[in-house]
Amino acid sequence: MNPYITASLLFGLLLGTTITTTSTHWLIAWMGLEINTLAIIPLMAQQHHPRAIEATTKYFLTQAAAAATLLLAATTNAWMTGQWELQQATHPVPTTMITIALALKIGLAPLHTWLPEVMQGLDLTTGLILATWQKIAPFSLLLQIQPNNQTLLILLAILSMLVGGWGGLNQTQVRKILAYSSIAHLGWMVIILQFSPTLAVMTLALYIIMTSSTFLAFMMNKTTTIGTLTISWAKTPIISSLMPLILLSLGGLPPLTGFMPKWLILQELTKQDLGMTATLAALSALLSLYFYLRLSYAMTLTISPNNLTGTLPWRTQTNKKTLPTAILLSSSILLLPLTPEVLTLFNT
Amino acid sequence: MLKILIPTTMLILATWLTPPKWLWPSSLLNSLLIALTSLLWLKNASETGWTFLNPYLATDPLSTPLLILSCWLLPLMILASQNHTSHEPINRQRMYITLLASLQFFLILAFSATEMIMFYVMFEATLIPTLILITRWGNQAERLNAGTYFLFYTLAGSLPLLIALLLLQNSNGSLSLLMLPHLGQLELTSYADKIWWAGCILAFLVKMPLYGVHLWLPKAHVEAPIAGSMVLAAVLLKLGGYGMMRILVTLDPLTKELSYPFIVLALWGVIMTGSICMRQTDLKSLIAYSSVSHMGLVVGGILIQTPWGFTGALILMIAHGLTSSALFCLANTSYERTHSRTMLLARGMQMILPLMAAWWFIASLANLALPPLPNLMGELMIITSLFNWSPWTIGLTGLGTLITAGYSLYMFLMTQRGPAPSHLLALEPSHTREHLLIALHLLPLILIITKPELIWGWTA
Repeated sequence: MNPYITASLLFGLLLGTTITTTSTHWLIAWMGLEINTLAIIPLMAQQHHPRAIEATTKYFLTQAAAAATLLLAATTNAWMTGQWELQQATHPVPTTMITIALALKIGLAPLHTWLPEVMQGLDLTTGLILATWQKIAPFSLLLQIQPNNQTLLILLAILSMLVGGWGGLNQTQVRKILAYSSIAHLGWMVIILQFSPTLAVMTLALYIIMTSSTFLAFMMNKTTTIGTLTISWAKTPIISSLMPLILLSLGGLPPLTGFMPKWLILQELTKQDLGMTATLAALSALLSLYFYLRLSYAMTLTISPNNLTGTLPWRTQTNKKTLPTAILLSSSILLLPLTPEVLTLFNT
Repeated sequence: MLKILIPTTMLILATWLTPPKWLWPSSLLNSLLIALTSLLWLKNASETGWTFLNPYLATDPLSTPLLILSCWLLPLMILASQNHTSHEPINRQRMYITLLASLQFFLILAFSATEMIMFYVMFEATLIPTLILITRWGNQAERLNAGTYFLFYTLAGSLPLLIALLLLQNSNGSLSLLMLPHLGQLELTSYADKIWWAGCILAFLVKMPLYGVHLWLPKAHVEAPIAGSMVLAAVLLKLGGYGMMRILVTLDPLTKELSYPFIVLALWGVIMTGSICMRQTDLKSLIAYSSVSHMGLVVGGILIQTPWGFTGALILMIAHGLTSSALFCLANTSYERTHSRTMLLARGMQMILPLMAAWWFIASLANLALPPLPNLMGELMIITSLFNWSPWTIGLTGLGTLITAGYSLYMFLMTQRGPAPSHLLALEPSHTREHLLIALHLLPLILIITKPELIWGWTA
C-alpha cells in the first residue's frame, strides 16, 4: 500500500480514538468510533486474499451493528432525558443498551465470537492494532457511563474470563489464542470497572504493554501457528527464551507484571465483599494459563530438532528496529516491584 | 539480609561473565561462600525471636533453619548438575545456573518475608524457575505433563489463598507476621469463615503435599533433572509447612474443629504412600513417595498445634530435606551410569561402587530414622505429641514408621546388595565430586545431632 495512504489511515485511527475519548457529546463520540472503524477497514483488507476480506467483512458488520445500537441508545437517551451529555446517560434502558453495544464493540462474551475469527484473518501488525488500540475508544465510553445494573457488568466479565479461557484451550493458531486471551483480559478490566475505574485503566494499559510485546515477538519470528513457534529458538534465541516469562506474565503469575492488575483487582473485589466472585475470577485465570503454558512449551521449553541451515538465521544481523520490542518486553516482565509507582501514575 | 541477597544476585551476573573454563568452579565457590555467610543468621539474641529485622525482611528461629537449608542447597545443586549439563552449550549451562540462583533468591525472600502477601508472591515466584527447570531440562517427553501438573495443582490451591489473605487484610488491617500473633482471635463463626479457613490452609497442604493432592509430586520428581528434584524435596515442600505454621496462629479457634479430616488424611497418607513405596520399581518415584509419607507426619504435627508438634515438624522438615536430597543425589549417580531409574536393572551396586554403598547405607538409615539422627528426633516428637492428642494415632504412626523402615531397607537391599549383574560391570568409578556432594548432605545431618536446638524452632 502507498505509504501516504497508510499514513492517512493511521492518522484516521488516531483521530477517531482521540475524538471519542475527548468528546462529551454522544453523537461526536459515535462519530469518532465510526471514523476509527472506517480507518482500520482498508488496513485489514490490504492483503488480497479471501481470508482477509472475510475478516474485514465480519469486522465491518459487527462494528456497524454495535455502532448502530449505540446510536439508537444515545438517541433514546436524548429522547428520554432531553440531553446528549456523555456522562448523563442515567436512564437504565439506554445505559443497558450502550453497555451491550460497547461489549459487542470490544468483544466481551457472549458477544465475542467475531473477535477470534477476525483476528485470524489479519496479519500480525493489524492484529496488534485490533487487540490494543481499537479497545481504547470503546473502553473510554464504557468508563464514562454509569451503569446502574451491577450484575450485568459482573456477569459479562466473569463470562468473558471463562469463555476466553475455554475458547483458547484447543486452538493451534497463535492469533486466535491471542484473541481469546484478549477476551479474558477484557473480562478482568470490566469486572473492576464500576468499583475502581483507575484500576480498569491501569489493567488496560498493562494489557496493552504485554500484548504488544507478545505480538512484536511473534512478528519478529513471523509466527502464526504453534507449529512454527517450535523453530523460533533457531531464529531469535534470546526472545524465545524470554517468551515463557512474557506469556506467564500475560497469564498473571507472580513475580511478573501480569500479576499486578490481577492482585489489585482481587483486592478491590474483596473490599467490596465479593469474595466468591474474586475466587471465581482468580480460578478462571488458570484456564488461560493453560494455553499460555502450552505456547511456552512449544516455543522454549522443548527444543524441536532442526536442520543445520535452519539454525542459521540467528547468526545474521537483523535490520529491524528492536528498541520498542526491548522496552515492551522488559516492562512486561519486570514491572511488579514498581506497583506503587504505577498506581500513582494512574491515580493522578 | 542484603549481605546474602546481593551476593546471590551477583552470582547470576558472575555466571554470565566468568570464562567458560571457570564457570562451574567459580559459581560453586561463590554459592558456597553465600551458604557459609548465611550461617550468621543462626545468631539469634533477641527476646522476641525476630532478628536481622528490616521493614520487609527478618528471620526468627522458625525461618532460620529453612533459610540456611535453602542457601546450603545451592552449592549442592551446582555440584550435582555439573555432569549431566556438561554436554550442553555453554550458554545453556549459564542459563541453568542462573535459574538455580534465581530460585534461591526467591526462596530467601519467601522464608524471610515479614508480610503474608510478600510471602505469597515469593511462594508463587518459586514456581517459574522450578517449572522451567523441570520442563526444559527434564529427560523425557512426560516432563511437560509433569510441569503442567506441578503448576496447576499449586496454583489451584494457592489462588484461593490469595483471596483469603486479602479478606484477612480487610478484616484485620495488617498481614504482618510480627503483628498476626498479637491481634487476638477473630470472630469466626459463619459458614463462609469455614471456607475461608480452608482457603488459607489448602495452598500449603497441596504444596506439602497432603495425601490426596500429592499426585503432582512424584511426577515432578521423576521428570525433573537432579537439581530440580533436590530443591523440590529439600526446600520447596517445606514452603508448605512453613506457611502453614505461620498462618495457623490467625486461624486459632477454627483449626481445632476443622483439622480432623486433614490430620486423618495425613496419617492415612503416611501408611498409603509407604505401602506404595514398598512395591515401587522406579527409584526416583520411591524417594518421591517417601517424601509424601514423611510430609504426612509433618502435616499431622503442625495441625495439632502443640509446641512439640511444631518443633518436631520443623526438625523433620530439615532432616528430611537433607536426607531426601542426598537420596536423590545417590539415585542420580546410578542413573548417570545405568541411564535407568529401574531398581531391578541397577542392583548389586555394592560390588562395583563400594564407597557409594556406604553413602547409600547412611542415607537409607537416615531415611528410616535411626537414632540418634535428627530424623528420629523429629518423628519421635511428632509421634509423641500425636499420641498425647489422641492415643489411637499410635496405630497409624507406628505402622507408618514400620513401613518406612521396610521400604528404606528394601531400597538399600535392592540397589546395593546381592550379586552384581553382568551388564553393569563396566561402570565408571565414582567421582570425588559425587562423594563430596553426598558428604556435604550427610555431614550437616550428623553434626546437627550434637546441637539440635538450632532446628528446634520456637521452643529453643
